[in-house]
Amino acid sequence: MNEFLNGMLQAINLILTLNPELVEITTRTLFISLSATFIAALIAIPLGGLINFKKFKGKRSLINLIQTLYSLPTVLVGLFVFLLLSQQGVFGDLNLLFTPTGMIIGQTLLILPILIGFTITALKTVGKDLTDLSISLGASEFQTIYTIMREAKYAIMAAVILGFGRAISEVGVAIMIGGNIRGATRVITTTISLETSKGNLELSIALGIILLGIALIINLMLNQIQEN
Amino acid sequence: MNILELNGISKKYDQEEILRNVNLKIKKGTNLGLIGPTGCGKTTLLRIIDLLETPDSGKIVFNDIDVLNSSKKEKIQIRRKIGMVFQKPVVFRGTVMENVAYGPDIRGRDKNELKGKISEKLESLGLGGYEDRDASSLSGGETQRMALARVLINEPELLVLDEPTANLDPLSTEKIESIILELKKNETTVIMATHDLIQGQRLCDEIAILNHKIFQIGSPEDVFSKPKNRFVADFVGVKNIIQGHAEAASEGLSAINTSSLIIYSSESLKGPVHASIRPEDITISLNKVETSALNEFKGEVSEISKQGALVNVKINVSGEIFMVYMTRKSFLDMELTIGSPLWIQFKASAVHVFK
Repeated sequence: MNEFLNGMLQAINLILTLNPELVEITTRTLFISLSATFIAALIAIPLGGLINFKKFKGKRSLINLIQTLYSLPTVLVGLFVFLLLSQQGVFGDLNLLFTPTGMIIGQTLLILPILIGFTITALKTVGKDLTDLSISLGASEFQTIYTIMREAKYAIMAAVILGFGRAISEVGVAIMIGGNIRGATRVITTTISLETSKGNLELSIALGIILLGIALIINLMLNQIQEN
Repeated sequence: MNILELNGISKKYDQEEILRNVNLKIKKGTNLGLIGPTGCGKTTLLRIIDLLETPDSGKIVFNDIDVLNSSKKEKIQIRRKIGMVFQKPVVFRGTVMENVAYGPDIRGRDKNELKGKISEKLESLGLGGYEDRDASSLSGGETQRMALARVLINEPELLVLDEPTANLDPLSTEKIESIILELKKNETTVIMATHDLIQGQRLCDEIAILNHKIFQIGSPEDVFSKPKNRFVADFVGVKNIIQGHAEAASEGLSAINTSSLIIYSSESLKGPVHASIRPEDITISLNKVETSALNEFKGEVSEISKQGALVNVKINVSGEIFMVYMTRKSFLDMELTIGSPLWIQFKASAVHVFK
């Protein structure tokens, strides 16, 4: 208990004094996960819209598959991307393994299903009534899709924030693709995992507090959105 | 000139036939009421007219354009001339102003120019000062009126209303109805679905009785007093319907033979028919009277029910039941009770004959 209290105090000290290593890791973490979320949103929102608005064979199965992938184990994505990016992999020549870019690719793949699936759900809840209303008032197909997207914007934003939450808190991809290299690919979760096993509790606790803080901010943002 | 013509419109959902060979011709400026029971296909027909649904077969002509064979672009142009208000109006996220401006917006009209016009429209619908309110906070009646404003701002040539006053309180209903009557002055063509016969009569120049197909179309007076068939007669609440076989009788009359009576009618339909006599066209007396009425029968009172100032008396004549209305005073004067014998009389011209 004493050890924990001691670690806690030192952690707070690290945060308050803006410890350079702490700041560096936090900044890198935010950069990687925000980039992954941004790229995933760019892909998922139009793709989700396409799946929702188009009628095609196997649509139901595809949506089922996407929903199954919500709980995709992070280490599986890690393994998959590792195989792609490793020297023997298809994209081995790009030398992306153990780089932040590689981690961004991994996290993007990890949260894509959630973003696509929740976008579809968000658009679906807008309902046929509003689609009909928009068409009936004279909207073209494009104008109708735009209207429905706009109606669903808060639900879609919530999906994006949820995706960011999953990206920033995962370990599997970060450690397998990033390799936890000090000063290069070390992020909050991988640092906590390593430093704890080394007995270096104060840095772990400090990073834990920051991660919790981010979770809190995410939660507040979600609440704000849901109120709209 | 006909603004809209429907020829042989049919529509099935799964295996269920919703519309069967519907034909309609609507003149510009007419107010047509589409009346029928719940589930009769009213909404489907309106959605077909608004081009939200495609019929399985048939032809739609709007302003001389064959709608179903036109391109996507042309269809949008046609749809922009038709405005529809749904039974359960939905709102877009945003203010009343944003909702009403949606139509003009997608037509690429200038927003600033529109603001005054929208405010005017809202004012005329009793929503003055509502511009900046959250559209989702409006009451049912207000939402319905906003939905009407959202459509009317586009100045549609054809306005399609699906049960515009269903689920509304009497005051909101009255407001909506006066707006619909107001539209008549602007020569806007209106097609409205309703299950309320009285409303149809009040607001429409023409009514069509629909139950998967159109059973009768005509002026409200015609449809209500001269139903063409049993379905319409039952639906519009025609009383005293009697089944029989009509044959030619002397002097251009027809004689309708029921199993127990012969009733004379001045109408000429022959064969197996229904006949109806409006209760107010039947007179009663305690004794046989000398009268010009060709139909006079002896019967007895079988049922008495009081309704306000009137008393409904059912009279059994050899097994056929006739309903008549009496004032309370004459009912008391005649001292009628169940089983009282009496005579009823009605003219041949009061007997309406239909299939």
